[in-house]
Amino acid sequence: MADPMRIRATARDGAVNVKVLMSHEMETGQRKDASGKLVPAHYIRSVTATHQGKTVLTAQWGPAVSKNPYLEFDFKGGQKGDKVVVTWEDNKGEKRSDEGVIN
Amino acid sequence: MSRWNNAKLVVFALAAGACVQAAAQTAKPLYPGVGRAATNAEIAAWDIDVRGDLKGLPPGSGSVSRGETLWEAKCTSCHGSFGESNQMFPPLIGGITPEDIKTGRVAALAKGGEQRTTVMKLSRISTLWDYINRAMPWNAPKTLTADEVYALTAYLLNQGNIVPDSFVLSDKNMAEVQARLPNRNGLTRDHGLWDTRGKPDVSAKACMKNCGPEPRITSSLPDHARGSHGDFVEQNRLFGPVRAVSLSGGAAVAAVTPPAAAPAADPAQALAVKAGCMACHTAKQRGIGPAFAEIAAKYRADSGAENKLMAKVKSGGQGVWGNIPMPPFANLQEQDLRTLVRWILKTE
Ligand code: HEC
Ligand code: HEC
Repeated sequence: MADPMRIRATARDGAVNVKVLMSHEMETGQRKDASGKLVPAHYIRSVTATHQGKTVLTAQWGPAVSKNPYLEFDFKGGQKGDKVVVTWEDNKGEKRSDEGVIN
Repeated sequence: MSRWNNAKLVVFALAAGACVQAAAQTAKPLYPGVGRAATNAEIAAWDIDVRGDLKGLPPGSGSVSRGETLWEAKCTSCHGSFGESNQMFPPLIGGITPEDIKTGRVAALAKGGEQRTTVMKLSRISTLWDYINRAMPWNAPKTLTADEVYALTAYLLNQGNIVPDSFVLSDKNMAEVQARLPNRNGLTRDHGLWDTRGKPDVSAKACMKNCGPEPRITSSLPDHARGSHGDFVEQNRLFGPVRAVSLSGGAAVAAVTPPAAAPAADPAQALAVKAGCMACHTAKQRGIGPAFAEIAAKYRADSGAENKLMAKVKSGGQGVWGNIPMPPFANLQEQDLRTLVRWILKTE
């Protein structure tokens, strides 16, 4: 199981700013290990963020995103105390969801 | 009592030179007529180091959540929200596992090949506290209170999963945190500095009599490390006694001679040093801020550049060269701003 994401959501100027740090190898599938064998691709393919059950962001990613990705976005309509849930799914079907509280 | 005495001494010193001698005589100085005794306040301001055994740690405390607020306000721009930024310095956070906290030896370091972060390398908690206290934020060192340093240290430890979200770090529990540091057992001295299988650089025994000839002290970089960060000559700051050895110079240990020209020769340059611009800029090499030569090249054809850049330095800002912000310099006089910007725009 991958490590939890770090999520920081802050309400400011009528919008909510969300910062997320994910923990993922993001292997491109192009890299070779010390013995010359290709390291199999392993990367996050999709990211979604929801606020009170409503989707506020979806993203399709690929192997070009670097290791331990950092994502920042703003959305409108959130209040202090609400929850923001971020979910990713990778090319091996592994999933991880974490939540942050808006402050 | 002694505090009062010292205060009186300073007042006298200011009042009349003759009194200084009188006061110095009562204090029986080691070197009569040279300087004066430091005041308690001066010693306290200078004596800020925190030792490995935590001696010197001032009382105080700070929570992870206070640290988070401070971090967002003062540190994010350079180190990233979670200490993850790789932009100007290797990340502060990352690369450790719960297993490392148990063993006190970071597995990824022993294995090699991973990027090294601050929490991976840290073997003494005092180092982190002391470093933040004396050196950070980079552009305004020594502006943090002791409680703020505790809070920021707590925040970084929390980002490294070393302490929980609710943790409050204080002078009372620093030793407990030391016992959880992921690399607390990782420090060894029994190896060379560059070649980790080599012999230690310093292995001398104290010698009190009939010692060998006076050693000649030199320093050098191994060849493979010389170019690893580009040509140091181009990155050397414009002031200070340290001069880089040129890559093209060839010689393994070239003599390091101080610059011939005194830095104060160019008043604009002296002003830039005094205003603190050189903490982030150099003439030719990009650092935290763009190189002055880059700035000059970019605005060469722009006749409105002078006023535009004066306004930018005054109010700070980001986005032209990247997402690291330049802090505002609101206190600089119009005339000084103009001198600085004109000087920068002339950089070749
Ligand atoms: C203007 C940019 C900037 C800001 C703002 C800043 N730093 Fe730094 N920080 C740096 C640079 C550059 C270094 C590397 C300095 C060096 O090696 O000489 C550094 C190094 C560090 C290190 C040491 C890392 C190591 O392994 O040696 C710590 C810890 C640190 N900063 C904490 C902080 C904290 C806490 C704050 C906020 C109070 C902060 N920094 C604000 C630029 C910045
Ligand atoms: C804490 C680091 C820091 C300090 C100190 C600093 N700068 Fe900067 N400077 C930057 C950064 C970062 C940028 C790039 C800003 C951007 O991308 O918009 C910059 C950009 C500039 C630019 C180009 C602006 C533009 O819009 O193209 C000028 C001119 C400049 N600095 C002058 C100065 C002067 C003069 C001083 C001293 C009074 C100074 N800087 C001190 C970090 C710093």
